[in-house]
Amino acid sequence: MNKISFASVNRKAILFGALTIVALIFSVRLFQMQIINQKMYDEKSAGNSIKAIEQIPFRGVFYDRNLNLLVDNIPAYTLQITPADYDTNLNKILDAVLDFDEGTISNILKKNRIYSKYVPIRIKRGIDFKVVSWLEENSNYLSGVDYIVEMQRGYPFGVMGSHLFGYSKEISPKQYQQEKDYYRPGDYVGHTGIEKAYELELRGKKGFKYVLVDSKRKEIGRYKNGSVDRESIKGRDLVLSIDGYAQKTAEEEMKGKRGAVVAIEPATGEILALVSSPEFDLNQFSYVTTKEFLDKIYNDPNNPLFNRATMSLKPPGSTFKILAAIAALDMGVINANTTIYCGGGFTFGRFFKCHGSHGSINVTHAIEKSCNTFFYNLIYKIGLNNLKSYALEFGFSNKTGIDIGEESAGLITDESYYEKIYGKNWPRSIMASLGIGQGEISVTPLQLAYFTAITANNGISYKPHVVKGYLDNNTREIINYNFPVTKTSVKKEVFDIVKEGMFLVVNGHGTATHIRSDEFKIAGKTGTAQNPHGKDHALFIGFAPYENPKIAIAVVVENVGYGGTHAAPIAKRVIESYLTKGKSRNQQNQMITQVIQNGEEIAH
Amino acid sequence: MRIDYNIKDKIDFYIVIPVILLICIGLISIFSSTYNNSLAQNNFEKQLYFVIVSFFIFLIIHFLPTNTFKILSVPSYIFGLLLLLLVLVIGKKVSGAKSWIALGTFGFQPSEFAKIATILALSNFLSRNNNNIDSFKDIIFALGIGLIPVALILLEPDMGTSIVFMFFIFILLFWKGLSILWLVVVISPGVIALSAIFGITTFIISLVVLLGILFLLNRDLFFNGSVFALNLAAGFFADYIYHMLSPHQQARINSFIDPSSDPLGTGYNSIQAMVAVGSGGIFGKGFMSGNQTQLQYIPEQWTDFIFCAISEEFGFIGSISVVILFLILLGRILKNASNSRDEFLSLTQIGIFSVLFIHFLINVGMVIGLIPIIGIPLPFVSYGGSSLVVNVIMIAIVSNIYRTRKNYI
Repeated sequence: MNKISFASVNRKAILFGALTIVALIFSVRLFQMQIINQKMYDEKSAGNSIKAIEQIPFRGVFYDRNLNLLVDNIPAYTLQITPADYDTNLNKILDAVLDFDEGTISNILKKNRIYSKYVPIRIKRGIDFKVVSWLEENSNYLSGVDYIVEMQRGYPFGVMGSHLFGYSKEISPKQYQQEKDYYRPGDYVGHTGIEKAYELELRGKKGFKYVLVDSKRKEIGRYKNGSVDRESIKGRDLVLSIDGYAQKTAEEEMKGKRGAVVAIEPATGEILALVSSPEFDLNQFSYVTTKEFLDKIYNDPNNPLFNRATMSLKPPGSTFKILAAIAALDMGVINANTTIYCGGGFTFGRFFKCHGSHGSINVTHAIEKSCNTFFYNLIYKIGLNNLKSYALEFGFSNKTGIDIGEESAGLITDESYYEKIYGKNWPRSIMASLGIGQGEISVTPLQLAYFTAITANNGISYKPHVVKGYLDNNTREIINYNFPVTKTSVKKEVFDIVKEGMFLVVNGHGTATHIRSDEFKIAGKTGTAQNPHGKDHALFIGFAPYENPKIAIAVVVENVGYGGTHAAPIAKRVIESYLTKGKSRNQQNQMITQVIQNGEEIAH
Repeated sequence: MRIDYNIKDKIDFYIVIPVILLICIGLISIFSSTYNNSLAQNNFEKQLYFVIVSFFIFLIIHFLPTNTFKILSVPSYIFGLLLLLLVLVIGKKVSGAKSWIALGTFGFQPSEFAKIATILALSNFLSRNNNNIDSFKDIIFALGIGLIPVALILLEPDMGTSIVFMFFIFILLFWKGLSILWLVVVISPGVIALSAIFGITTFIISLVVLLGILFLLNRDLFFNGSVFALNLAAGFFADYIYHMLSPHQQARINSFIDPSSDPLGTGYNSIQAMVAVGSGGIFGKGFMSGNQTQLQYIPEQWTDFIFCAISEEFGFIGSISVVILFLILLGRILKNASNSRDEFLSLTQIGIFSVLFIHFLINVGMVIGLIPIIGIPLPFVSYGGSSLVVNVIMIAIVSNIYRTRKNYI
């Protein structure tokens, strides 16, 4: 049987058949893959290949005007989980290690289920170094868990600057739709403050590293050995006009109060300090912002996110008398020697009270004493429309155009405003209180400071701004930005008269003599704005040194009482801090420690 | 007997020309797929060197007296076994298997040499005059000759080569004329073992089918019972082995059952290979222009996945050409084998046919996603010295037999 069946025709046919069938199947399959389904495979193939990895550049840092570093980038560790490699049994341990409530990680992972399980998910930013070393030690047991180093904002100078600097956050879907050409989802963009206003300068230019990736999206090599890679370009390092010392002092002084401080260099319009209080901790925004933090900050009745320095609208109170005086003097309805008699008040339809009887008083002394009667009279000499046009010249009733953030315009009324409401015969008695900055009149702290700066510099200043320029990345030279100049038509003599009055407020027998300083002459004007929400707002505007103004300042403290008592001392501290570059503050601290030491000695 | 000495009579162009073309296609694709890869910088030159070496080896073997093969079959088989033992001791581990012996700068795979030796030895045994292939003793003996090297190769462990051995052993027995019943007996444990891995349902179905076939072919209850028991054991053993496998090996098997189940894991090679082939289109992306190939999406593409590079860069035209060349080559060897009146030479050629056929089947099949990823090269085309030399030796043997065919009529 074996001989017969050896290499039988049947078996040869079977092998031939098998060979032919295999060849046929292969041909059909190849035809199907390469001709019928070619497009599908081609798309997949195109998607493979090269992947551009974005190189996020360092964000520009902020220096103050003395080149002290205010905001920089610090490396921070972010814990991430790659769900594909991750064992959910680790949830409990990680929750504990990261100080999360139980179930937090599980929730985060659930939320991210829509993304590929091979893409790492950020679990917590800014994790402690202790956690990092724990991760390192136990990496064998923690598959799918790792950490990356990311750059986050640090505030090394101890300045909070919550409204000034602002913060960045993940790009919103809306903004992403508008700026698709640069940003990717998940990118951080400036959201408030300088971070937002100077986003284009700060962000630099993304670089791209081209790598070949395998299907795990893991790098398997550089594309063309990196020859086509594009380096990222670091963002511009901004030089702020802010003075770190003044800003810090202002922040400390405003702690626990509601209000704002704005200080401007009169000759340049450069903002030296800009504080809105209460502040909030920017660090909370530089890491993953917790829900509790957001709830707390949104529900805070003091509304810490609100930038009072540029947004809050308050009647200027007696600080507004300076503008009325300028208007009257410049119009010539009074001169330096014109006196008005103050017997304790003024009657126009009804009686308007003054806080004293000042007798016959001229404009400088009216400012010094803050005589209401003088200014009640003055407003009728000036006229509402004229007052408004002077107000506009000095930056009121308009946005100042500051380079950061949102801003309110404020309100200064004119005749047509009242005509609209009451008709032609509107009650003229309304005007009286406007003359002393009360009633239907509102300004921002920034406008007050700007006004003071213009006044201090005899009518000329620049548009207020917080950024002077930037440091060239290579040469490290400061390159200044340009800002438009402001000029008023008011005569210089007018300013001399008004400023003399302001000088007397502090250095004569005025309302703020307690902030008198031997080192430098402060000139200013207090204000106390009545309001329906409780205690009066305390205001102070001022500048120093009197002879050669280097700083103009406005301080507004809400619902505390007299401006002279509550706002003026803050202004003094900030001025002092600026003019001595923070030295006096240190001396003060030293003195305090000395006193304490002495006290201890005595106790012994 | 008169032999006509014209060139056509001395050399079988249906064998030699496809082989030359396949080697050329191989060289082109190796050049392309290693051009941008620093790890495989000199592979083209090395392969060219082996092509030249192979050419001289071909000439030598082609002109040897044909009876040399029979004379050398037993000593070379024993030598082959010794080499397979040696490699287990001094072998170099390459991608998980201890299958290489280092010879100076070149490596050498004893299992490649053992292929030829085993074919010759088994053909020799099966062609003995007193051989009764349907006797239990001779079948066991024949299986022994075949399976000893398989066992040694499995120890390396080299799954792919073991499969090649098992295939050609089976085809040799088939060609020898083993009855269908015995063929079923020989092949069934393998089939059952495979079905066991696929799951309990397929396992039971295949057992039932087996039982049906056995009773159709044979009424001996005891015989059928033993075979069934053997198969049952094979199935459970396979399942046992499967669970003993390391997770990544299991994953490989699983990902074959459904490659898209884990596209970023173990199915990676399979899917990337298919993407490479499919995206080639009709005319291909052109020499040196396939991005799958040039960007090294498939690891070590110049070896087992060389067919991807051909398909991607030369398209359907290129890939179908390779299939046709193999069809011509294998068909011709099969024809020569069935024309050989000498039983030993016929069996030897069928053995060679089987080796090349199974390599072609598995290699191309896995690249186009019809067969799980089993790492064996495409003959004549893939990069690799030992593989090329051994394949050329086999072709030389076929060519030698063709040269002297008229002596054996």
